[in-house]
Amino acid sequence: MEKMIQLEHVRKVYRLGDEKVVAVDDISLDIAAGEVCCLLGTSGSGKSTLLNLMAGLEKPTKGKIIIKGKRVDKMSESTLALFRQQNIGFVFQSYNLMPMLTALENVALPLTFRGIPVKKRNQMAREMLRDVGLEKYVKHKPTQMSGGQQQRVGIARAFVSRPPVVFADEPTGNLDSKTSQEVMDIILGMAKQHQQTLVIVTHDPSISNYADAVHTILDGNLDLTNRETLTITQEGIDQ
Amino acid sequence: MSNRDLILMGFGNLLRRKTRSVLTVLGVIIGTCSIVVMLSLGFAMDRGFQEQLAYMGDLTIIDVNNYGGYDMGMMGGSSGSGSQTKLDEQAVARFRQIPNVKAVMPQRSAYMKMAAGRYVGHVNIMGVDPEVMEAFGFEVEMGRLLQASDKDTMVFGRSVAYNFYNPRMNNQNRYYGGMNGDTPPPVDVLTAKLTMTSDMQYGETRNRYDDGNDGPAPKIYDIRGVGILAQSNSEKDYNAYMNRDSLEKILEEQQRQNRNDRGRVDNSQYERVQVKVNRIEDVEAVQETIKAMGHQTYSLTDILTSMKETSRMIQMILGGIGAISLLVAAIGITNTMIMSIYERTREIGVMKVIGARLTDIRKLFLIEAGLIGFAGGLLGVGISYLISMGLNRIGASFMGPDSITKMSVIPFQLALMAIGFSTLIGIIAGYSPARRAMKLSALEAIRNE
Repeated sequence: MEKMIQLEHVRKVYRLGDEKVVAVDDISLDIAAGEVCCLLGTSGSGKSTLLNLMAGLEKPTKGKIIIKGKRVDKMSESTLALFRQQNIGFVFQSYNLMPMLTALENVALPLTFRGIPVKKRNQMAREMLRDVGLEKYVKHKPTQMSGGQQQRVGIARAFVSRPPVVFADEPTGNLDSKTSQEVMDIILGMAKQHQQTLVIVTHDPSISNYADAVHTILDGNLDLTNRETLTITQEGIDQ
Repeated sequence: MSNRDLILMGFGNLLRRKTRSVLTVLGVIIGTCSIVVMLSLGFAMDRGFQEQLAYMGDLTIIDVNNYGGYDMGMMGGSSGSGSQTKLDEQAVARFRQIPNVKAVMPQRSAYMKMAAGRYVGHVNIMGVDPEVMEAFGFEVEMGRLLQASDKDTMVFGRSVAYNFYNPRMNNQNRYYGGMNGDTPPPVDVLTAKLTMTSDMQYGETRNRYDDGNDGPAPKIYDIRGVGILAQSNSEKDYNAYMNRDSLEKILEEQQRQNRNDRGRVDNSQYERVQVKVNRIEDVEAVQETIKAMGHQTYSLTDILTSMKETSRMIQMILGGIGAISLLVAAIGITNTMIMSIYERTREIGVMKVIGARLTDIRKLFLIEAGLIGFAGGLLGVGISYLISMGLNRIGASFMGPDSITKMSVIPFQLALMAIGFSTLIGIIAGYSPARRAMKLSALEAIRNE
């Protein structure tokens, strides 16, 4: 299968005063196009740093990050912005909707950045809101919606421009288990529908059940043993 | 991101923080007002000067004088009288060729004694071309202007008739009585039978110092008055005008008669040529052209130029004082924008992560700052007009209700420039915050609190 994201010996070291903190030690990883990939790890494992590196929000200390054949780690700030606009969608843990904009305007925002005329982008955003079951909340502001509803708006926003890659950073972190399930169903449904590559970062093992591939991260490295056990467990459950 | 979307978004962001936006805009309003009102005082002063000068005479007339006869050596000319271009018919023809010249009026003058019945008077007579009188602003109050066919006819300035006095009445105040036009002049120049001569003793009572004149008495001419000029508060009030050809003929005759009395006057040269220019703006250029031909010139615009320089300096000082408050307002804008960036750090980060370009972020903040400047400028100009109206009303109350001079004048260009300038100030004030916003790390956005 075609490789969408490739990580080659990626290392990220933070400098905190005199101390060096190794957030990501040495990770090599391939994610195929259309794959739903889960990065599982406890807090401080380096999983969020890895996501930031993939999204180009941080530069690695060492190693290569390749998305769609392009070296993300080599891109300039403005090239990255354009690259993100064209190729990457983002779902946040705390939704991060624009408080002054309505649900519709929030969903249409990435299209606004692309310069798509207001009529067309509103139509596209309306369709997305219908797909996430919020057709009645088009005119609502984020403060008038529940957490689950806000996250569904966030998902609609991440998928509206049909980016090849969508990153989701603890998408259910602020939600209760029932809502989490709904939200995960929506995310997966969207990604599968258009064969988009989805990378989910989470500390919640139950989320990993939705993924095609699960990579457990421990102290900045891939935990290969844990991965196997998980797969076994999963199979065990299935039986 | 399209500009329309950026402006709408920027506007929305300002509305979100109404109080702060209003306060910042208020700063710009005060700044704009102080500049515009201060400058308007200067403009009014400028206009006042101009009106004052226009009252003194026509601003679009250039006087070309012939000083060739006097003191050329003292003026540094080594070749004596040859250094100045002759002010003759050729020069007049050249003046007519200069662009933007409306009319040229060569003049010859004579100081004559006139008599009407028992009254006599000294009158300065100007020989002019009747065809261009209208162009030079001659207007009659009674009768008519000169015509080309006129010979021994005259048009009198408003005050000339008051020059007449009765030599047999020893009244010292004769020159001043009735100058204001309250009392009628002693002679009605339109109906009286007038005579004119160059003999200054003509009609006077002989006194003991008079030793009698040996030569033949100068010729006496019959003159008919055809018009009285409207009051103009300029030299026109004090001169009498006649057809230049006729006056030249009279002067020639007199010269033939007493050649040895006066210095030879070169009849081919004029004492003065007046040049009427189309518009005030052209006066300087035309005047320079004439000067370049080697003539001496004078116009009221000379005074206007120096007055304008003075008022420009006053305007700069006043504008500078106003500019200080706009500077304070600009700092206010910068402060507001920086505050806004701190508050919106996360929002900016999110925008970056979901696909905003760096230039879009910068533009958004520049637009917000520019909008503050624009709104402040627009309202400031509006309020300035109100203040200006108020000032003029106050001014009218102590300068008299029908005074034309205003205290404050806001030309339309000043209003436009003020709005443009305050917008520009806003954008400049927003530049550094906008850069800061652009450089903010997108990472801030996805940090979970």
